Amino acid sequence: MNQISEIKTLADLKKKQEEVRARITLRDRAESPDSLVQVKVAMATCGIASGAKEVMEYFVEELDKRCIDAVVTQTGCMGYCFAEPTVEVTLPGKEPVVFGNVDPEKADEIIECYIKDGELVDGIIPQNYNTI
Amino acid sequence: MIDLAMHMMDIVQNSIRAGAKKIGIDFIENNDEATLLFRVTDDGSGMNEESLEKLHDPFYTTRTTRRVGLGVPFLKMTCEQTGGYLKVQSEEGKGTFIEAAFRTDNPDCLPLGDIAGYLTLLLRANADIHFRFTYNLDELDFTLDSEELNEQGIELQHAEMLSMVKQFIRENLQLLYRDRSPVSYLC
Repeated sequence: MNQISEIKTLADLKKKQEEVRARITLRDRAESPDSLVQVKVAMATCGIASGAKEVMEYFVEELDKRCIDAVVTQTGCMGYCFAEPTVEVTLPGKEPVVFGNVDPEKADEIIECYIKDGELVDGIIPQNYNTI
Repeated sequence: MIDLAMHMMDIVQNSIRAGAKKIGIDFIENNDEATLLFRVTDDGSGMNEESLEKLHDPFYTTRTTRRVGLGVPFLKMTCEQTGGYLKVQSEEGKGTFIEAAFRTDNPDCLPLGDIAGYLTLLLRANADIHFRFTYNLDELDFTLDSEELNEQGIELQHAEMLSMVKQFIRENLQLLYRDRSPVSYLC
């Protein structure tokens, strides 16, 4: 019951920020967002109801832990309500790819295989492929 | 939609899509009256009377990607099932105000859920939007203003700070919740 609480006021928060700043030398973030990995999590009614929050939290935390410079944002429904939670990943200089039925386990696979190595993984929703 | 935090994310997402730059999110809980008001105020594009009329229709949406729009009808259902109401005011070009009232002495009242988690994600993913969140329980209140955080130099782009901010919100809300009346079904 008597949990030690540390962050009650804005001042506590500011102190934490200074600690974090002192400890971490900021990674040089690339200037233009085009050179970053972009992850968009669909956060409309359908996405939220299927657990998009857990997926988004996972991406935010894990991409940072694994030192990948990425922008994680939320977007509306992309029209694939049947496959929520959906995530759109854009690697620098590549076409966006949409993954369906993403849970934290799938998100891990996406980070390890697609974002790190550029290998495609199962669960892609063909959205904008071109026929050859 | 199993908790109110999900509804919060959903309704705020509507404001973001309407191009809002300033979004107010308020929870006002009253022990004596056993009510909870959930309000979202934005300065987005607003709606004309025709859209406003069709808003409660689940088969109305401005999207072209699908033919249903369930966000607002779901919220209407969850507040009306407790004996509450949903009120929406909007003016084109000015913004929208939405108020959902819940009766907290009704067992059908949904739990609040992870408000802190959703709120930090909103702040992090929409750094260019000014969010002002308040939770009010009788005389107690807690306010989180994204501009205040910026002024204090708090950077949500650090994943570590994100969890600190989440903890900050969670602890302050839990402090408020202690004053909740025992007859309330909110949790």
